[in-house]
Amino acid sequence: MAETALAQPGRTTRRVRVVTSAVIVTAVALAVLVVPPLAQLDQQAVDLANKLDPPSLAHPFGTDDVGRDLLLRCVYGLRVSLLVGLVAALTATVIGTAIGALAGAFGGWTDRVVMRVVDALSSIPHLLLGIFIVAMFRPGVWPVIVSVALTHWISTARIVRSEVLSLRSRPFIDAAVSGGASRTRVIVRHLLPGVLPQAGLAAVLMVPHAMWHESALSFLGLGLPAHQASLGNLVQSARGSLLAGDWWPTLFPGLFLIIPTLALAGLAGAWRDRINPRRKSELML
Amino acid sequence: MLELTRITAGYDRRDPVVRDVSLHVGAGEAVGLLGPSGCGKSTLAKVAALLHRPDAGTMTLDGTVIRGWRHRAPREQRTAVGVVFQQPRLSADPRLSLRELIAQPLRSTGRRRDVPERVAELARSVGLSDELLDRRPHAVSDGQLQRACLARALVLRPRLLICDEMTAMLDASTTAALVAVVERYRAASGAALLAVGHDRVLLERWCDRTVRWDERETEKGPAGPVTAGGGLRPPAAPR
Amino acid sequence: MTDARENTAVPVLDVQNLSVRFRMRGGRDIAAVTDARFSVAPGECLALVGESGCGKSVLASALLGLLPANARTTGSALLGGDTDLLTIGERALARTVRGRRIGLVPQSPAAHLTPVRTVRAQLEESLRELTRARGSELPKAAVAAAARASFPEGHLDRYPHELSGGLAQRAATALALIGDAPLLLADEPTTGLDRDLVERTVDELRRHTDEGRALLIITHDLAAAERIADRVAVMYAGRIVEIADAEAFFGGPGPRHPYAKGLLDALPEREFTPIPGMPPELGALPEGCAFADRCAYADARCTGERPAFTAGLACHHPPTGRASSPSKESADA
Repeated sequence: MAETALAQPGRTTRRVRVVTSAVIVTAVALAVLVVPPLAQLDQQAVDLANKLDPPSLAHPFGTDDVGRDLLLRCVYGLRVSLLVGLVAALTATVIGTAIGALAGAFGGWTDRVVMRVVDALSSIPHLLLGIFIVAMFRPGVWPVIVSVALTHWISTARIVRSEVLSLRSRPFIDAAVSGGASRTRVIVRHLLPGVLPQAGLAAVLMVPHAMWHESALSFLGLGLPAHQASLGNLVQSARGSLLAGDWWPTLFPGLFLIIPTLALAGLAGAWRDRINPRRKSELML
Repeated sequence: MLELTRITAGYDRRDPVVRDVSLHVGAGEAVGLLGPSGCGKSTLAKVAALLHRPDAGTMTLDGTVIRGWRHRAPREQRTAVGVVFQQPRLSADPRLSLRELIAQPLRSTGRRRDVPERVAELARSVGLSDELLDRRPHAVSDGQLQRACLARALVLRPRLLICDEMTAMLDASTTAALVAVVERYRAASGAALLAVGHDRVLLERWCDRTVRWDERETEKGPAGPVTAGGGLRPPAAPR
Repeated sequence: MTDARENTAVPVLDVQNLSVRFRMRGGRDIAAVTDARFSVAPGECLALVGESGCGKSVLASALLGLLPANARTTGSALLGGDTDLLTIGERALARTVRGRRIGLVPQSPAAHLTPVRTVRAQLEESLRELTRARGSELPKAAVAAAARASFPEGHLDRYPHELSGGLAQRAATALALIGDAPLLLADEPTTGLDRDLVERTVDELRRHTDEGRALLIITHDLAAAERIADRVAVMYAGRIVEIADAEAFFGGPGPRHPYAKGLLDALPEREFTPIPGMPPELGALPEGCAFADRCAYADARCTGERPAFTAGLACHHPPTGRASSPSKESADA
């Protein structure tokens, strides 16, 4: 039928997108997990004779302003950025889910107080708050993680709360209460399971976001110490050479940030399509 | 069995959906509460099912004055009232099989050992096959799902059953079948029934007595205070 | 347009051997509609009745070209004797059929109306789209369109959520009538409405039918069908099992198919006794008559051989005594 193409826009396109994303994410995971221990190469090895070499066979991504291999630096940088992203996103999700679920499930005063706090926090720009938090610590990985986690649970809390609120008013919750279910049982058995997929999705979507945040903090010189390769640091230290026309120290770390984060977002999108209520079309009987 | 006296309830204290309504259901009696959609009869049903705290008025269940609703009501009070809602799709946790759906109240009240036997018994009485019991809500029809919801409401042997528009989405044959299940249960247990609905013919055929929500209530919602009509007692105060 | 077709032999809608199959995951096929045959004439109302899941809504979607992509249709559905709804394709359906030649009265009007626009805005938009009314004529045309569906002028500037169920239904009907389509298709227009609202809605639809339109109403509400229909088609497990004159069907002679009889007997104003059992799964229909395992008359022939649909009935055991005179639809069956 002619409608086929219209009714199901790009089923194949979507599949291609998912597969590509999955391949990239797998490749990235392998690279950051396997390369550093196997390669036995020193990413910090300075080689002033070969500083700012353009991409070549020996250095496929070229070298930086002190002659370090950029490919290696990028892999290490990605490793650090991913670690920060994952841990920060997970922490933020746990905090957000707990707070959102409590606010939604209890309602009333609890909800009002929590939501006012959330509103107040979200009125401050993320980055500003993040900068404020890292500024209180000595530069390092953990302050960055804490800063990103503490600024990112808010959206998850909002999502989880609204999800819990919409579930809570469903008759099936009433039926559970009528059937003798305790408050805990209602939350644990009926509310949380319904919310977890959304929270998980929020977590995955947050990883790229957190990576960008880490990069931004590092780029501003507030994140990781300068010698530690993170994607943000790499781009930051390459600023000077970019003005001199040396494009590779900026481009490759940039791509290393953009491509994996897009791939992650692509996978998250596919997941969202799965967990959202199945489309009516297949069930219209 | 159930005595609601001058109940005012709703979701906004300044504009309650139910105003000053009284209703009585005797032991073993089947009462039909008849009213147009949106008039507040479902809210009243939720008050009676201990699921919605009224803003004013008193309720007694089996002679006991109710002091708290939802989780503030003791479990024994909540489980003494079974409830079936209008929309089976929204009344069933989408993640649970029909078997688990029916078993939930048993699990909630620590009667896990009774699950296989009671579920089988209830499934037989509402006419659900073993194969259907293993399906999840999205794979069964509205009628089949509502049968499971009725089974769930009966699994703890309530002394009062509240059916809020239980059959509004169903065809004539399924309606008659579900009513027959309720009536068999009532005949065996002596339970009372409060059937809430808008179908006069159905409620008059089903119940011992029907009570009309005030005629001045229109489907637009509460335009003015509800006063009690027909068999509502005691007569509510005039506006 | 409508008047031109009146008093001619060409039915507004003529459905022949319409079947709809859904291909499910794992290659399973679901026979949602099988060999449906019926027609609707100008000024006539045909009610398609059956319980939920019997395939009647799928049939409606097939006529409007609104089936999901995993559906396949066979057969034909001629609109006005010249346009086969099943083959003309989405573009033509959207441009020339929906709204213009078929007006749809939806099941849940509140969901059918755009929530963020007033009734007036939606009427005016449809008028611009479907008629020649332009500019300064639009406000007047919108009021007139509302009046045709008895929608009160004073409520035109309301948003859908500010309307009661009855008014939302009228607003949706007003939209359906704008294109002056010769065929109205009403899919469960009364679900969830109170009895008196059902009667008002149905009476409105009847009025539009009496103006010369053809009306196909799809409903599980037998009382609504009795009030409005000239003829009744009963659907069971994807097949039309009986087509009868409404008067005979609901009146003295009664329905001829045991399932139809069972449905009527289940009404609280009649016997109030359910048909035993439940309908079969559309994905696993039996060889013979789909109703056999619930039927009091069933014998070996019923379980082994599917009854053909002849003279408006698909049953091996037509009640000989009851149907004394052949009803008029025997001719078109």
